[in-house]
Amino acid sequence: MAKAVTLDAEPVKAASPYKSSQQELRYKLYTLAIVVVILAAWELAPRFGLVSAIILPSFSAVVGALVSLIQQDFFLRHFSVTLTEILIGFVLGTSIGLALGIALAVWPTAKRIAYPFVVGFQAIPKIVFAPLFIAWFGFGMSSKVVMAVVISFFPVLINTLVGLESVPEDARKLMRSIKATPLQTFRKVSLPHALPIIFAGVKAALTFAVIGAIVGEFVGSSEGLGYLVELYKNQLRIDRVFSVIVILAAIGAGGYFLLEWLDRKLIFWRTDTQGK
Amino acid sequence: MMAARIENAEPLERAAPAAPIIDIKGLGKTFTLDTGPVVALEKVDLTIHKGEFISFVGPSGCGKSTLLNMVAGLLPATEGEATLDGRAVTEPSRQVGFMFQTAVLLPWRTVEENVLMPAEVFGTRTEATRQKARAVLQAVGLGDFMNAYPRQLSGGMQQRVSLARTLTYEPDVLLMDEPFGALDEFTREAMNLELMRIAQAAGITVLFVTHNITEAVFMADRVVVMTPRPGKVSGVVDVDLPRPRAIDQMQSQTFTDLIFKVRGILGHGQGSHA
Repeated sequence: MAKAVTLDAEPVKAASPYKSSQQELRYKLYTLAIVVVILAAWELAPRFGLVSAIILPSFSAVVGALVSLIQQDFFLRHFSVTLTEILIGFVLGTSIGLALGIALAVWPTAKRIAYPFVVGFQAIPKIVFAPLFIAWFGFGMSSKVVMAVVISFFPVLINTLVGLESVPEDARKLMRSIKATPLQTFRKVSLPHALPIIFAGVKAALTFAVIGAIVGEFVGSSEGLGYLVELYKNQLRIDRVFSVIVILAAIGAGGYFLLEWLDRKLIFWRTDTQGK
Repeated sequence: MMAARIENAEPLERAAPAAPIIDIKGLGKTFTLDTGPVVALEKVDLTIHKGEFISFVGPSGCGKSTLLNMVAGLLPATEGEATLDGRAVTEPSRQVGFMFQTAVLLPWRTVEENVLMPAEVFGTRTEATRQKARAVLQAVGLGDFMNAYPRQLSGGMQQRVSLARTLTYEPDVLLMDEPFGALDEFTREAMNLELMRIAQAAGITVLFVTHNITEAVFMADRVVVMTPRPGKVSGVVDVDLPRPRAIDQMQSQTFTDLIFKVRGILGHGQGSHA
């Protein structure tokens, strides 16, 4: 990771593309096979009475419930409420994390003073704030947005700080030797160098924003997907609980892949393909 | 100033009593650690003339990098001073180019964009600078790689880009801190010859730090031999080999004698790779 400034890099390895793509295909088939096995077990276990269909509805029952849920008039309202909470929470959390991370990285005094608070705050399981936020900001969307912000800004802050501080000493020295201003060094060297690390934090922030919004809704709300999960659980309509879970998973996965795509576009120089 | 141009094969400092470009007077560095003061470099006196090629050789901890960093204005001295063109060095100067053991290229920029980076910092990125950058890249043999990214280049080629980046802003002095230390022997030799050719043609003064005795002698007009604990200059060896230098000069008796002279100053049993 810290090797963004290329040392002595070997010319790009020209591994046989034929062999590697064949390998790739085989891995994909294995993954697919595991998915099929899980879905089959899920479908068959309730059917053969291994588990009660009330506790674990079969896969086909969940698909049916999902299709009917999406067609309900109220669904779109709950869906858009949660999606809005997630998006606002994610954007705010990422912005705050980025701003604080930059501030702490470029201003050592601030870091000295604020770092104990940052570490202390990190140690708190932030979910315990959810009831408090409901009391402070009400049952509406704002309390969920605040929850999403509070748990999502942290990975961005830490990764921004770590990324900016991992700029190699020689790169800083090079900029000093040509009398670059701190702003020039920041823009031309530090920020692009830190970008891959920051992006890893941003991806984590999205996952956390989803958790924050849902937890907020669990604790107290009258709409949203988290509210629906609570509602259907109380009605013992487990097939619908699963349907909402599938939708939430789709939101999380969709956002993640979008960020992954953006990451590849933005950080085209990355040598490893793993993303982290 | 142009008196230092090389038309004959005479070693430079004898060719003309050129004006000193760098004057080092009683320059020393003491670091204050928790355990007490540590002398990194004892007082050094050295006068370097325009166009001279000076090698600094010695094992780790002899203070050669410390000396270079102080001359660059990247590290404050605790004693004495270095002057550049008569002015005391207190901060980095754009008259001076610095090269590191690693190429320190920005992986998100193409070769050409890397070479133009200093011009952006200076606010001099114009079409003329661009032409200059291309010419320099041609000169270091990277004409076909201007649009390549650093990771597509070998270590030697990356170091050429680093050299081109420095040469493009036309420094009077080149400070090099083990620039070819990470390269293989063949690449290093090629780079040595190329650097001498370019520095000589442009009349650039070079201060070249290395721990390789052969390289130090082969390239220099004078070799400054340094020893550790505490870091100090133990001797200066004049290299009276004609220029332009060629590999077969390494076979000459003079060359072998010079190597042994340097080894002698470094002390018995000291290898070339400390």
